[in-house]
Amino acid sequence: MTAKAGVGVLGAVLLAVLVFLGLSSWSRRPAVAEPSVQPIAFPHNVHVQTYKIDCQYCHTDARRSEFAGLPSVTRCMGCHKITAADKPEIKKLAEYAAKSQPIPWQRVNVMPEFVYFPHKAHLRAQLKCQTCHGPVETMTTYAARTGPRISNDLLNLVGLRPAPPSLTMGWCIDCHRDQNAKRGTHAPLDCVTCHH
Amino acid sequence: MNRRDFFKIVATTGASAAAAGCQQATEKLLPLVVPNEQMIPGVASWFSTVCRECPAGCGVIARNRDGRVVKLEGNPDHPVNHGALCIRGQAALQGAYHPDRFAGPQRREGGALRAIGWDDALKLAGDKLGSARSAGKGRGVALVSQLENGSAGVLMDRFAEALGARSRLTLEPFGYEWMRAANRLVFNRDAIPYHAFEDAEVVLSFGADFLETWLSNVAHSSGFGQMHGFRAGRAGTFIHVEPRQSLTASNADEWIRNAPGTEGLLALAVLKVMVDEGMVDKRFAESVAGVDVAKVATDSGVASETIKHVAHVFGSARPGLAVGGGVAVAGSHAVQTLAAINLLNAAAGNVGKTVRFGPDSAYGKVTPYAEVAALTQAMAKGEIEVILIGPGVNPAFTLPGGLKFAEALAKVAFVVSFANQPDETAALAHLILPDVHWLESWGDYSPREGVLGLMQPTMSPIRDSRPIGDVLLTLGRTVLGSEEGKGPLPWSSFEQYLRSAWEPAIKAGQWEGALQQGGVFKDVAVVAVTAKTAALDSAPPTLEGDSSGLVLLAYPSLRMYDGRGASRSWLQEAPDTMTQAVWDAWVEISSETAAKFGIAGGDVVKLTSPHGSIEVPAYVSASLHPGAVAVPIGHRYAPYQIPRYVRAPGAPINPVGLLAGAPDAASGAPAFLGVRVTLTRTGARRPLAILQATHDQDDRELVRHVGLGAAREEALRGKTDTPHEMISMYSPQQYPNYRWGMAVDVDRCIGCQACVVACIAENNIAVVGKAEAAYGRQTHWIRVERWAEGKASHPKNAFLPMFCQHCEVAPCEPVCPVFAAYRTDEGLNGQVYNRCVGTRYCGNNCPYHVRRFNWYYYDIPEPLNVQLNPDVTVRQLGVMEKCTMCIQRIVAGKDRARDEKRPVRDGDIMTACQQTCPTQAITFGNLKDETSEVTKLQHGPRAYTVLDELGTRPSVTYLKKVVRDHA
Repeated sequence: MTAKAGVGVLGAVLLAVLVFLGLSSWSRRPAVAEPSVQPIAFPHNVHVQTYKIDCQYCHTDARRSEFAGLPSVTRCMGCHKITAADKPEIKKLAEYAAKSQPIPWQRVNVMPEFVYFPHKAHLRAQLKCQTCHGPVETMTTYAARTGPRISNDLLNLVGLRPAPPSLTMGWCIDCHRDQNAKRGTHAPLDCVTCHH
Repeated sequence: MNRRDFFKIVATTGASAAAAGCQQATEKLLPLVVPNEQMIPGVASWFSTVCRECPAGCGVIARNRDGRVVKLEGNPDHPVNHGALCIRGQAALQGAYHPDRFAGPQRREGGALRAIGWDDALKLAGDKLGSARSAGKGRGVALVSQLENGSAGVLMDRFAEALGARSRLTLEPFGYEWMRAANRLVFNRDAIPYHAFEDAEVVLSFGADFLETWLSNVAHSSGFGQMHGFRAGRAGTFIHVEPRQSLTASNADEWIRNAPGTEGLLALAVLKVMVDEGMVDKRFAESVAGVDVAKVATDSGVASETIKHVAHVFGSARPGLAVGGGVAVAGSHAVQTLAAINLLNAAAGNVGKTVRFGPDSAYGKVTPYAEVAALTQAMAKGEIEVILIGPGVNPAFTLPGGLKFAEALAKVAFVVSFANQPDETAALAHLILPDVHWLESWGDYSPREGVLGLMQPTMSPIRDSRPIGDVLLTLGRTVLGSEEGKGPLPWSSFEQYLRSAWEPAIKAGQWEGALQQGGVFKDVAVVAVTAKTAALDSAPPTLEGDSSGLVLLAYPSLRMYDGRGASRSWLQEAPDTMTQAVWDAWVEISSETAAKFGIAGGDVVKLTSPHGSIEVPAYVSASLHPGAVAVPIGHRYAPYQIPRYVRAPGAPINPVGLLAGAPDAASGAPAFLGVRVTLTRTGARRPLAILQATHDQDDRELVRHVGLGAAREEALRGKTDTPHEMISMYSPQQYPNYRWGMAVDVDRCIGCQACVVACIAENNIAVVGKAEAAYGRQTHWIRVERWAEGKASHPKNAFLPMFCQHCEVAPCEPVCPVFAAYRTDEGLNGQVYNRCVGTRYCGNNCPYHVRRFNWYYYDIPEPLNVQLNPDVTVRQLGVMEKCTMCIQRIVAGKDRARDEKRPVRDGDIMTACQQTCPTQAITFGNLKDETSEVTKLQHGPRAYTVLDELGTRPSVTYLKKVVRDHA
């Protein structure tokens, strides 16, 4: 058996194992933000497209912090005390505000614990939010499946690109390299910049 | 298929298996309900306050991330500590996040503590106080607190007065009453002056452990660094007299070992020589008329040539500084000893220059121990109905065993403790009203005249605790039946009282500024004093106990202080620099004594005095005076540490249990040097966990020396011998932007271990416990090595902070099979945790032994996990880790510089170890910048790299220790 054939066999065996495990885990996928999972059905498209609200009007911390931040409940109520106050979803919001409780949003963009991603530096480099987060302005519900997820890994493996943006490390690095080559930026490529 | 693809396939298979095996938990994102103007999630805010871990009162700035304090640093604007913090200050966070902190008020019912609501607790306390008062037993109410010389103290005094109670006592176990008594005697001033170490040319210390616990260790370390550290051809001289080689003694150019209790004799003999040789005013002859230098030499075991030499060095200093009165050597002779030292300073003309009355220390306001002893006797007689024991004090543990405080406390009908975590005194209390931690409270504290430190909450309380000020106001009004706004205690809260008390001191609109700065700091004029000369009594200290026994030197531990440091696991696991022991107390026994009794290191020895006994493992030392044994004060364990980190000791381990209770007649202080102890081997063994296997460099030249003369020559003329460059087959590495590097001045390092704990706090370093540490599995990224040279009985020590050297040709990198260890473009050795598979090859290949392995998931008991630095990954089982030169601070520094559209400047980035160093021995910076401090030091004449013969080309440069051929 030649070395090449050996590699082929190894690949095939591993692929078989993988397809099995992939399928078996498919049915037990971790819960992510499905439309029904979020406590309030928040339509990004209405806010961004219809009312032309800037992303950073609500996600105020993006330009100055590691986190983009979520609007405080009082900020939501700033408009919704009057705007659409009779809609059922807004009533839910008003309820949280009345009880002085935070809205328990489900996290959608999940980064592993060993990754430090600062929004601030990317905004300083004049990136658009959509470059990483996709066309959020068109979404009724934001539910990206990002990061090193099994589906993304499987797609990677069989040579297909996961639906952008994948928020995997390779995808980050590709962009950094690309920007450095095209725009002469100094996007860091050091491991320890994000892993420390 | 190439290597990368293979790994992808294998890794993906593994990932699928992992994903199939477990479910990923969903995370919730909770927005704020109301936005907080002071806080941006993800961005730290800093609040300044005052450290209350000891009476030194250093300024602290607390780094608050998302509502919780994660790191403490010294306040750079503060006149006491100038930005530095000691080991205990760094570990104070562990007090705030103490896992045993009381969840709320507790009441003792049938021996056990039960939770009780605040209303019920206050009602109970109010009833007891009220009935004592209405029964005309107001004098039966006592209040003790730690040294509170600010608003809290005034409020407590008002409370005591309003209730007709006894006046409040402050309880500081180390009150230095002997210094005050000697100053009254010689200078007619009941105060402890400011000691300007920074201005002295020669420091002569008679047992004052000023680099450890004596008065204000950070201020003294910083002053000592300025005075003694070699800079531009100049360096001061330090001579230390003590029977034991303490950490302070180790830093001396000349350590003189004297017989215990002969410090006063020696001070007088030095003065006698100065008088005889006409170096000082003749009027001091009166004080030393009866002194015979030859007899002093015999009694103290110090050669008369040495005494004369010391007199010459000290007498010719302009100015010098003589200090004395460390706790370990304070006995019945302490007042006379200090009086002799005062005369020495007066004769040499140091008073007003390096000994400054005026900016007097807060220690001068401590209630003398004699009054505490009197209160204890009153308690034992049943005269006390109710006692309120303030936070920060633990008299059942810290007071001498001979006083029998615990037994006296049992006679008190109702004991209220304000402790917020369990301790020996709270264990005897009937009611516990937990106070907030000082990081959570308002307050003020003045460490010395002119320095008014202001405290503010740096975060909200993590447990249901209330400030003692608020509780006393409520209690007082309940008992007096007065309303808020009326009567002697009208304020609604302590905060309101504090603001009203500060109103006259600061002009309108300056409150915010004072809060930000950490207080109000003014220079205080030096008060002129004249020295009274009189013949001094040079009697040796009276010693109780078996006359054939050994003198007990009970010394306050730099890590534990009086015992309040011991509940912090970081401090337990930071080694004692001299012994390198962690997690246990020990008795230091001279090798002569050990040979006589057949004691080996680790043998459990029972020490017995007339007042009690303790059992601790032995540490055999060749340098200790053979007539003495030494035990560090303050070792104890918090409940959560047992058995998590250490096994419970069977018998007491704190040496104050051996001391006499009767106060010294002359000073009113406890006699710390006052007992002889007998030694018995128990037959048991409890080996110490000692982190450094040898103190012998064995010609490896890890620490290098240069003579003072040669260093001066080189400082003036530049390096005389340029070491040859190692020839390499490879082209040198290019650094496109920055190259980070550090310089460590071995001449300045005093071995205080503050850097070790600062690193632990900054970098989420795990605590492993005694057994694991004994295996060498501690996870510290920085260690302070002690290297000894010369005779074993009289070693010369040097301290070498050792951490990842960030080698250009790093032995760790090529052996990593997964490229987890790699060289960055900025001159760091990166360690990528998510790549690491834990082969430990890198650790084995590192010649500096600085890589640490996670043998377990080291659990972090709640709520200590809240302290974790959110900018640093918490490493898991099977991962190798090491110093990153605080990469998170580098990233943050570069980010700030980019915001301002400029390159990183020198001083923008400080590593945690550098930031806290009281002597500024550590410098960090960009080696590519020719003007940066670190580059200058690297090119300086004293620079060398450790193990340079290996050709690793480290980014860390050390500066040689400057030694004096003769002090």
